[in-house]
Amino acid sequence: MSALAEIQPYVEAFKARPNAAEPAWLKQRRESAMQRFAELGFPTRKQEAWRFTDLQPLQRAAFPPPSSVSRVAAADVAPWLYGAAAHRIVLVDGVFAPELSAIGALPKGVWLAATAETLRTRPELLDAVLRETDALGAQPFIALNAALFADGFVLALEPSVVLGGTVEIVHLGRAAKRSSQLRNLIALAAGSRATLIETYVGEGDYWTNAVGVIAVGAGAALRHVRLQNESATAIHLGHQRVELDRDARYENFTLSLGGRLARTDIHLKFDGEGAACGLFGATLLRGEQEGTIATVVDHAAPRCVTREYYKSVAADRAHGVFLGTIGVRPHAQKTDANQLSKNLLLGARAAIDAKPELEILADDVKCSHGATVGDLDETALFYLESRGIPAAEARRMLVEAFAAEVIERIEDDAAMRAHLGHHVARWLAGGVA
Amino acid sequence: MTDTAAAHNLAPLREGYKYGFVSDIESESAPPGLNDDTIRFISAKKQEPQWLLDWRLQAFHQWQKMDSPHWAKLRIAPIDYQAATYYSAPKRQNTPKSLDEVDPELLKTYEKLGIPLNERAALAGVAVDAVFDSVSVATTFKKTLGELGIIFCSFGEAVREHPDLVRKYLGSVVPQGDNFFAALNSAVFSDGSFAYIPAGVRCPMELSTYFRINAAKSGQFERTLLVADKGAYVSYLEGCTAPQRDENQLHAAVVELVALEGAEIKYSTVQNWYPGDAEGKGGIYNFVTKRGACRGARAKISWTQVETGSAITWKYPSCILEGDDSVGEFYSVAITNNFQQADTGTKMIHLGRNTRSTIISKGISAGKGQNTYRGLVRIQPKAANARNYTQCDSLLIGDKCGAHTVPYIAARNPTARVEHEATTSKISDEQMFYCQQRGLSKEDALSLIVNGFCKEVLKELPMEFAVEAQKLLAVSLEGSVG
Repeated sequence: MSALAEIQPYVEAFKARPNAAEPAWLKQRRESAMQRFAELGFPTRKQEAWRFTDLQPLQRAAFPPPSSVSRVAAADVAPWLYGAAAHRIVLVDGVFAPELSAIGALPKGVWLAATAETLRTRPELLDAVLRETDALGAQPFIALNAALFADGFVLALEPSVVLGGTVEIVHLGRAAKRSSQLRNLIALAAGSRATLIETYVGEGDYWTNAVGVIAVGAGAALRHVRLQNESATAIHLGHQRVELDRDARYENFTLSLGGRLARTDIHLKFDGEGAACGLFGATLLRGEQEGTIATVVDHAAPRCVTREYYKSVAADRAHGVFLGTIGVRPHAQKTDANQLSKNLLLGARAAIDAKPELEILADDVKCSHGATVGDLDETALFYLESRGIPAAEARRMLVEAFAAEVIERIEDDAAMRAHLGHHVARWLAGGVA
Repeated sequence: MTDTAAAHNLAPLREGYKYGFVSDIESESAPPGLNDDTIRFISAKKQEPQWLLDWRLQAFHQWQKMDSPHWAKLRIAPIDYQAATYYSAPKRQNTPKSLDEVDPELLKTYEKLGIPLNERAALAGVAVDAVFDSVSVATTFKKTLGELGIIFCSFGEAVREHPDLVRKYLGSVVPQGDNFFAALNSAVFSDGSFAYIPAGVRCPMELSTYFRINAAKSGQFERTLLVADKGAYVSYLEGCTAPQRDENQLHAAVVELVALEGAEIKYSTVQNWYPGDAEGKGGIYNFVTKRGACRGARAKISWTQVETGSAITWKYPSCILEGDDSVGEFYSVAITNNFQQADTGTKMIHLGRNTRSTIISKGISAGKGQNTYRGLVRIQPKAANARNYTQCDSLLIGDKCGAHTVPYIAARNPTARVEHEATTSKISDEQMFYCQQRGLSKEDALSLIVNGFCKEVLKELPMEFAVEAQKLLAVSLEGSVG
């Protein structure tokens, strides 16, 4: 498809959008975002951030937003649910499905609702989210999302509110050759706390284009788990933009299992002193899957701490990519940043690309990164086999242990660890070549 | 004053640039500008055969279609390639038959540089093919080497005397259109060195060349080609100094190494071109393409570099590990002070089975210097059991400088093992305090710590260079503390 032909279906989908009762400012922002997407076009491999990403699955066909809502029974969602969730929002093809959701009773000072609903009742909460699209002008898929998004979720906590129960968001993709354009917001005011798990699942060849804007206020803490378990033929692009205020804590754990083409981007900026982030994750790939983790951590304030640890496994003909940048600005003294990418290459035709990058402009810092690529440890395999464990089972055990090591970084939440471990085991039941 | 605070106080280089002098020799230069005629002029001047002229023109036509690379973390003022002079040679009436006939002005220059060009050379055990601006003036030790069948001469001479060897290997590692600067070099290269070590011969001395830019506005386009035949061994030293100047001078060299089965090439560089003054004015632009190919089983190529000079360094000495069990090594120290910028690193391309590579890179940034390690380790599908180990450490002195690490790892074989580690830190106050309370001055303490930081690389240098390199580190960092 030519560059123009790639864009055309989305331009038309934008024109054909039902004339929703949206405020004028939002319509205008959508217009300018669409214009920007049309200008930028799809990214190419000549752009550094996309050089390892094969966008062909996205370019071979068009994925406009769905024109009708898929019917989904509660039983279809049940296998994916997190048992320990206290509040739940389910979105189907990018649109809130109230009949499947269970928001439950929310403590005072907590707002949890769909994005469209929030636009109607609390538009001020979304102002910042939509303004962000301008700041991220160079990202075509964010621009497209800003133009076309229909729904998503919003979690907003007022100062010092502690939300005890885990919030669960389930995104279900069903409509073939359609896209879910999700716009999500998490805003934690000073001193508040929350835990959230986002699950992406579905059936068929759809495209999920999710943009999350996350702001963690002074002294607030957010644990954000993402379970990307899309269908094996789906495309998943998940972009998180995170800003941390003074002494804030943010922990992101991404378990990536599904998708033909899956990419998770995290852009995190330290805006205040003394904040800390932990970015962890495991990506398991087989068949012809391509999975990318791309993180950019911007130390724009002094005394912040980054702990980054990602693991990936590529079997068969799969392609795993890790792109990690840690930048330290001139005045961000006493930065303590550490990044590690460990990769298992299991298939003779599998591939791993890693690019851990440090960009340091302050001197009183401690920064390090490491990256490894290799096969399973032969000694460990031999040990297990010598104990009578068949080779295939031994490999499965070692891969499971490889992933478990990073899941263990989720401290003080056994239910969450078990939930993620269960999904890893499910994936492994498919066999490791 | 604490050491951190002290580091803010940046004094200009006190010793200044030791080798900053300009010798006055009438140049016979091509008119400024670059077109087909310039290339014909250079080729005619050098009395080259038709095939080489065609090769140059082919390169030039490729270059015309290329853009200068912009992916490096470098700020480069636009270069007007039409304003530069592409050929300048010391005027010669007759080819000198002995040192006595060589322009005394030229000899004095060498003396100032301390090049052991006469009998002292024998004592130092160094064979020097001194390149002055563009034309080789004298070559020593030819006889000793000749007896072993080793060819070591200027590139121009090699074209005349050994055209088959040159034709066979020229451009075989770095093709004409490899990159913008390599294409430019291929079109206009002036002279350089050529060495061929026959099968089974161990070169008995370190081969050495001194490069030197002299005439104003004349870019220097060196071309070096080293071939080590089966089972041969050679250690090659390259050192650079350049006169102090205000205009930026362009230097785009190409070095090609070929190691056949069981051969080993050790290539060491101390690069100390004029870095510009403390305000960032002047200095050499050093855009170099260096690459070696291990063409046979068990071949080995080892690059060691100490980069302290140049306003801008753009340089990635690389190894293509084609032969099974071949080995590639890269040891580097890069220092940027004042306004210097360096974007340097290596590429290790693993093609053969059981190939191994090691990368040790030490970057030191002071003043407003920007230092980037950029590297690629690529394991191709057939490189079973390939191994790579990479370690990149950066040291920051002062809070106005930058240290960046950009490694690329591409693994395509499951039996391969690739490890990369990088750290960035500053010299700790504790280290400085410890040294100072033992009576060392601040500068000596710094020099001691920096030398320790670079030890893994410096120990790879041949003895002649190791001493010079340690002094260079100290000089390069002068004024960055205290």
